[in-house]
Amino acid sequence: MAETTDLLQGTLDLLILQTLVAGPMHGWGVAQRIQQVSKDVLQIGQGSLYPALHRLEYKGWIASDWGNSENNRRAKYYRLTATGKKQLEAELATWERLSAAIALVLGNSAEVQP
Amino acid sequence: MGEILTRVRFMLSGKLPGEVDDELRFHIEAATEANIAAGMTRDEARRQALVEFGGMERTREQCYEERPGRWMGTVAQDGRYALRGFRRNPVFTIAVIATLAVGIGATTAVFSVVDRILFRPLPYAHDDRLVSVGLVAPIIPQEFMLGGSYYEWRDHQQAFEAFTSETGANTCDLTERNPARLSCASVEQNFLPTLGIVPILGRNFLPEEDRPNGPRVALISYGLWSSHYGLDPGIVNRRIDIDGTQVRVVGVLPKDFEMPALEAADIVLPQALDEAAQRRADPGRVMYAFARLKPGLTIAQAEAALQPVFNYSLNLAPAPFRKEVHLRVRSIRDRQMHDVRLAAWVLLGAVAAVLLIACANVSSLMIARATQRERELAVRSALGASRMWLLRQTLTEAFLLSLAGATAGCLLAEVLLRVFLDLAPTGITLLNHAQLDGRIIVFTIFVSLACGVVFGLFPALYAPGSISTAARSNGSGRTVWLRRGLVVGQIAVSMILLSGAALLARSFRNIELQGMGIETRGVFSVRIPLPRYRYTTPQQRMEFFLQAEQAMRHLPGVLKVGTSDSLPSGGQHGEQIYNNIAVEGRPRAGEGTGGMVAWRLVSPEYFSALEIPIVRGRGFTIEERSSKDHFLILSSLLATRMFGANDPVGQRVQPIPDGPWYLVVGVAANVKNAGLTGADEPEYYRLRRDSIEDWNADADLVLKTSLNAQAAAPWIRTQIAQIDPTVPVQVETLSQQVSRLADRPRFETALLGFFACCGMLMAVIGLYGVIAFVATQRTQEIGVRMALGATRGNILRLIAGEGVRLILLGGLLGLGASLAMAQWMQSLLFNVGPRDPLSFLMVGTVFALVGLAATLIPARAAMKVEPVVALRYE
Repeated sequence: MAETTDLLQGTLDLLILQTLVAGPMHGWGVAQRIQQVSKDVLQIGQGSLYPALHRLEYKGWIASDWGNSENNRRAKYYRLTATGKKQLEAELATWERLSAAIALVLGNSAEVQP
Repeated sequence: MGEILTRVRFMLSGKLPGEVDDELRFHIEAATEANIAAGMTRDEARRQALVEFGGMERTREQCYEERPGRWMGTVAQDGRYALRGFRRNPVFTIAVIATLAVGIGATTAVFSVVDRILFRPLPYAHDDRLVSVGLVAPIIPQEFMLGGSYYEWRDHQQAFEAFTSETGANTCDLTERNPARLSCASVEQNFLPTLGIVPILGRNFLPEEDRPNGPRVALISYGLWSSHYGLDPGIVNRRIDIDGTQVRVVGVLPKDFEMPALEAADIVLPQALDEAAQRRADPGRVMYAFARLKPGLTIAQAEAALQPVFNYSLNLAPAPFRKEVHLRVRSIRDRQMHDVRLAAWVLLGAVAAVLLIACANVSSLMIARATQRERELAVRSALGASRMWLLRQTLTEAFLLSLAGATAGCLLAEVLLRVFLDLAPTGITLLNHAQLDGRIIVFTIFVSLACGVVFGLFPALYAPGSISTAARSNGSGRTVWLRRGLVVGQIAVSMILLSGAALLARSFRNIELQGMGIETRGVFSVRIPLPRYRYTTPQQRMEFFLQAEQAMRHLPGVLKVGTSDSLPSGGQHGEQIYNNIAVEGRPRAGEGTGGMVAWRLVSPEYFSALEIPIVRGRGFTIEERSSKDHFLILSSLLATRMFGANDPVGQRVQPIPDGPWYLVVGVAANVKNAGLTGADEPEYYRLRRDSIEDWNADADLVLKTSLNAQAAAPWIRTQIAQIDPTVPVQVETLSQQVSRLADRPRFETALLGFFACCGMLMAVIGLYGVIAFVATQRTQEIGVRMALGATRGNILRLIAGEGVRLILLGGLLGLGASLAMAQWMQSLLFNVGPRDPLSFLMVGTVFALVGLAATLIPARAAMKVEPVVALRYE
């Protein structure tokens, strides 16, 4: 199994929201997709995935409906709400600022090291 | 916004319980299929999926915990759990609620009474800047102004933005179809604006209405408006008859209006003084001045700024008196409450102590309960309840109990307040205004919550210790120490209360025991306040009272009939400055005022009716009543002061400068004339002759009879009614009057005594509880001791010794504290020192006896335990 990285606090919410941009998805799908897209680096533990989904739903950023899965099973599908979209944009902006800042710091130290 | 709505929706509806399960099951199935697709067998795939997933139950709970309204369910659950606990243990619950109810009820009732005296803002705008300003001199106890100085002060003072005056309140008669005796206050035109009072209807006086012979106008109180005019808004501009004169009502005062010196005022009139005449006059009219400080100025600064005008007034005062005249500026509240403040604080302190004892008792009960439940708590903690959870549970219980206690306490407070008001003498300032209101309810809830937190935290802090030991043992030693400490504190506090009450009781007994110097048995006072508008001349007044005196003599059973303008038991009398009295053939006395001298205007039979002995010379005679000369009798105190050992009889005295000269015919024994607790004043009696120059004032009749009160009163009324059926007649026994003078100390003593008893009862119950608890806890030990040969006496000593130690420690602490605190009560005490040994001895003995009894009951029970039972006890 590939090595996994601990997710930064609050990053999971961002990942879930970003994943749901593609369209309604059930919990299993969300987990699989994050794993695939990150090329197996990010594996979401179910113990944190479902509480996070519920938390986002209580906040009103995502909504859920029961529907049928690809192989005809009852599954709960989550989709992004309008509030969720706005929230995602705000969090993405924050994330970009943050990662740019981190990149700057790491870049500088890389120059100094040799 | 949408977010909040979603939260509210979920808080109210929640999710279906099975929803999470379905979702998780789908996840497992999906994972299994994925594993099968990867080439595993079905069973292996499912196993792997479950392993990968981890704790199913944990995830489900975590999902549940994300729910926004979760805490509400927890609170309800805690509440239900607490209620079940209370139902299982009704004695504990009732004990706690009753204790709290007494503590909170008493506190609330007393707070309602003292709130107005100590804390509540006065009904004036920005009352913190209002002050009472004036001179203090021996003649009038409270600060006052004189017409000769007032206008000078008002025009030249620098410290105030407004300066106003009133000239006091007098009785007046509403002489309309529905006549009534009222109180009319006279005020300056700028009086209401200075105090920040706006009439709720109509307007304030105009400047031209506050001049002599100006238009006759009046403002009426809300009470009068409601009782006489049915709140009719048409009252403005209506004319009403006051003392036979038509006066136009220009406005209605607010409901909470009161005069700053607290005189009763049904009607407020412009004082209409002639300013120019007053400025010239010396000393001029007595007035009371009030002022509004400029913002940012303190009272001390204002006092300093008033020095120039004060010096002006000082120069007007007669030179010998100047040293005794001072300037005084103080807040209106200080002026109103000067004599009840200390009593109010003592009372508040007493109930605070009762509340403290009650809280300690409840804490002790809660600790005992927590100790009994240690095992239960340990088990619950082992099953996964967090420390936070147990703390919350305990606080929920405490909160519920406080709430129940507060509710019961509020009801009790209402009852207690009614009882206080019934018991209370009419003379106590503002007591009639006391009522439970919103602020006081809030105060109660605050107090009870504080109680809840205090006693809820003690046991919660001790739960749970080490689970393994707690689950096996029966309560830990630490909590017993805490409870012992609480009991010592309770005993100490209730000792303080009890010694305060004992001192007051002793002082009250001294008041009751001292003689008034007059005979009150079988003596009636008959007061007939003649309506001024009908009896306008001294002639009419004299004729009425002479007829009344004659009519009384005709009543069977009446032995003596005297008259006087005032009675020692009535509390008020004429007063004058000692150094104004001149003696023939002697230079006028020197420095200062020499203090005050009381005087009365009496008939010859006054002395025999009240059995005041004439110790030298003789009394007045019937013949002297029709004499042209003036006659005088001195009290022993005054005779000694004026003439020393010489015989005053036959001397000629002029009490008032430029007044008539009086012949001293005798000396009468001293009478208590400054209330029950004041120092006796020197006094003289002028003979009231049947001549109109002596009849400027009404008279009180004094009847010495062999009748009882029920029989006499109707007869007396009938006789007076035959002379004039319209005059009001007040018949009272003298003992009633005297007893009314003692109303205030009686009220204070009864109240403090009541609280002291409450406090002691609770402290003793607390003591009993701890000893009983300790005895039960040591049952097994007692069994062992008895098996090893201890006698029953040994066991009794073992358990009782515990109680005696607590009583001694608490008693000594309390004694020390009360000795230190008693001196604050000094001014409430009469003829008792604040360290009165007898009171403290009494309190100590009572406490020792009651405390011992509370100890011996459980100790005896422990002694009687059968050793076999005790050994098996767990």
